[in-house]
Amino acid sequence: MDTFRQRIRESIENETLQIALDNNTERRLKGRAAAFESIPDWRKRRQRAHAIRADVIEHLDEYLAQFIAKNEENGVIVHRAKDAAEAIQIILGIADSNVSRRWSENNTDDRSRRTPLLIAKSKSMVSEEIELNHKLEAEGIRVVETDLGEYIVQLRHERPSHIITPAAHLRKEQVGELFHEKLGIPYTTDIPTLTATARKVLREIFLTADIGFSGVNFGVAETGTVCIITNEGNGRMVTTIPPVHIALMGMERLVPNLENLSLMLSLLPRSATGQKLTVYTQLLNKPLENQTRHLIILDNGRMRLRNSPLKESLYCIRCGACLNACPVFRELSGHAYIGKDKSIAPYPGPIGSVISPGLLGENYVQLAQASSLCGACKDACPVDIDLPKLLTRVRAGQIPTVDNRPQTVGGAGLTWSTRLGLQLYARLATHPKLYAASQKFAALGTHLLSPRSQWMRLPAITGWGYSKDFPRFAGKTFREQWNKNDVILSEAKDLGNNDRDSSVALLPQSDINKVEQFTNELTALSGYVTLTKNPTQSIIEFLNARGVNKIHLEPNTLKESLLRKANIEFTDTPDDKILVGVTNAICGLADTGSVLEADGALHASLLPEIHIAVLKSSNILPSLSDAMKFVNDKSAAVFITGPSRTADIEMTLTIGVHGPKEIHVFVDDSNSG
Amino acid sequence: MTQVQLFVTCLVDSFFPKTGQAVVDVLSRLGIDVDFAREQTCCGQPQFNAGLRKDARAIAEHTIKVFEKTTGDIVTPSGSCAHMFRHNYTELFEGDSNWHPRAKALAARTYEFTEYLVDKLGVTDVGAKWDGMLTYHPSCHTLRGINVDKQPRALLANVQGSTLVELPQAEECCGFGGIMSVEHPELSAEWLKRKISNLEASQSPTLVVTDAGCLMHIAGGLNRQKKSQRVMHIAEVLNQR
Repeated sequence: MDTFRQRIRESIENETLQIALDNNTERRLKGRAAAFESIPDWRKRRQRAHAIRADVIEHLDEYLAQFIAKNEENGVIVHRAKDAAEAIQIILGIADSNVSRRWSENNTDDRSRRTPLLIAKSKSMVSEEIELNHKLEAEGIRVVETDLGEYIVQLRHERPSHIITPAAHLRKEQVGELFHEKLGIPYTTDIPTLTATARKVLREIFLTADIGFSGVNFGVAETGTVCIITNEGNGRMVTTIPPVHIALMGMERLVPNLENLSLMLSLLPRSATGQKLTVYTQLLNKPLENQTRHLIILDNGRMRLRNSPLKESLYCIRCGACLNACPVFRELSGHAYIGKDKSIAPYPGPIGSVISPGLLGENYVQLAQASSLCGACKDACPVDIDLPKLLTRVRAGQIPTVDNRPQTVGGAGLTWSTRLGLQLYARLATHPKLYAASQKFAALGTHLLSPRSQWMRLPAITGWGYSKDFPRFAGKTFREQWNKNDVILSEAKDLGNNDRDSSVALLPQSDINKVEQFTNELTALSGYVTLTKNPTQSIIEFLNARGVNKIHLEPNTLKESLLRKANIEFTDTPDDKILVGVTNAICGLADTGSVLEADGALHASLLPEIHIAVLKSSNILPSLSDAMKFVNDKSAAVFITGPSRTADIEMTLTIGVHGPKEIHVFVDDSNSG
Repeated sequence: MTQVQLFVTCLVDSFFPKTGQAVVDVLSRLGIDVDFAREQTCCGQPQFNAGLRKDARAIAEHTIKVFEKTTGDIVTPSGSCAHMFRHNYTELFEGDSNWHPRAKALAARTYEFTEYLVDKLGVTDVGAKWDGMLTYHPSCHTLRGINVDKQPRALLANVQGSTLVELPQAEECCGFGGIMSVEHPELSAEWLKRKISNLEASQSPTLVVTDAGCLMHIAGGLNRQKKSQRVMHIAEVLNQR
């Protein structure tokens, strides 16, 4: 038996894993279904998203050139890597120059006092693809994963088992034991306590890291914007705090413009986590003050894939919905998707069974055989990738060839007996007389084997016999029975009643007041909204109630004279010790309860435990696409949708990971009469 | 009189000929003249799905030739084979200037049985009678392959004397998946278990399907587990008077 099948068996027999996976699947499916209810035109959006991605892949060279030129203009250092080795070399090069910088700053010539370079890393699938951590650690660099799920799997020396929920295969007891053993806290299964522990440990990492590392969800060709979405806030930390930010992106991850981006963002979080918008949707244009940004654009087989019959797989936006919908993934988790060399495929599930062999070659071709082609993946895909079709293409050997090696033959991964049986059957099926004769032969044989019952018990080794009985061939096949004169002919009945209405009813346009809608949405996410005619006064009252007398304040947000009178100290210098940050929101989004913050507000809305945003009621816009116009002239902007959160342990929602634990929006309606 | 060609499918032909007869009976009662081209065999989907495209192509060419000699729409009691004709044949002959148009012409003539009744004939009540509960398992290729779902449900809802109850998690695959049930029996077994426990939860003694593949898989599982529920092809239910 090959090892892939062994791995499948082990996964199915692992009860803990099965419970964890069922948990993951059920919550994800429910969440996704609920989130799509709020966009009744999702089918149309999905088709548009498909068309946008198709256009990008078709004209990838032009879009890339535009994207790169814009980034260089924005002061970002752009690198291109043709494969994993080149990407690693580039990163090592960046690391090297920072090592010398740090040592010279510290005036440390004493080698023994030199600590290894520290990289704080946000979740990135493409870094898994190039095995970044492993390779950097081999060079003496310390890499710390900061997404809670990734941090857990890193502590366990594992690879993520799901592209969105890396620790989907674990239960809270396992995490409790792990933290007890590795972080020295008393054993607990209390998820908020586990999360708070990670917050504390990783906060130190963010503040001391030499380099912040992230992936990229989307690049916007027209503006050069890099879009990164995270719920926990680690994506914001690694792109805001360390002096250097390295962003690694797959070269296909582009959209033409910001309007297209807002469409994608209406689909990605809904598909991935069942959220209308991810908590932090970051749009990075230029490096921040005193920050260097490197953008590494990776090919690693993507151009080859683009020129192959698997091209459509490049439309993927890495939401993971196909994994959650897939009945195979539900039994296995990502760890069972292994290649012939037993290495775990970087991308699991339906999309992974296409792009793992598509990018990395024949080693992973066998993954594509583990599918019933049921189509649940295609149904779930927010960009309508025809995954069953692509899976049959992988099975047919249509993967791009690496290093001019010959094309794989069709039927890769099949057992020899199945292959032989199917080929023999094909010969019969093209010779009707032989075919009919073999049916008679099979009928005779099966009647001899099972004279009394219509069902036969085959041995488990046949595959079929493993869990079900096999039907006996009919004594008289349909073709033998067929005699046209036997057909019952009766009067045609006109039974009309044709209901073929396939039009989807659109929900009536909501006429809820925007402030009310904003309040409802944010409150549902555990955020707080206060309507006020005097924001400064209301915030002072809030601070007094909480006993806070020092705040991190974005300039020109509150009336400073009032603050002084109330003995509230304020500063706009980032300080990890300050409990409350107050910022001015550029605008709010009614349909998601989000606020837009940028540049001067980035630290104050991230580091403190409590984030207070002041928002003018007239600045509440209907939705994301209406707010994109404010993003262009900022160095960096972020749409904040509720408090920082995670569901990385047992899919249990926990508030307050790396970003603020509370968000309070004071809606200033002093102008509305 | 309208004439149609029956593509009976290899599974119905070899294992469940009564289903084929039921299709003929139901259509005949509606005044349709059903013909059966004896040279037909299999649609080639097992080979196509396994990645053996050369073998699949040979069978597809044979099938196209057989039906080119006939006239009228092609009706098949299988969403899966209809999906094969409609989508996979054109995929197989992509870029082949001889076979691609011929595959497309075949696809244009093809209807799954319930799709033909409802969409082509405009019939949702065939005058069938059934005493008791029924529940419906939407076969993957019927539901997601050719987007046929309202049609069988409408037909079943109009079966006199029956109560149609919803099958929990109805849209999940039963685990047949053609060769997957042989190549990855462990996976297939898990889904089958789930399908059977959902069937039990529905309380219906009878499960209706549109594909003989699901039928033989689920019925084979029920038989192995010695359960009393039965699986019926929708054509046989609609043929009950």
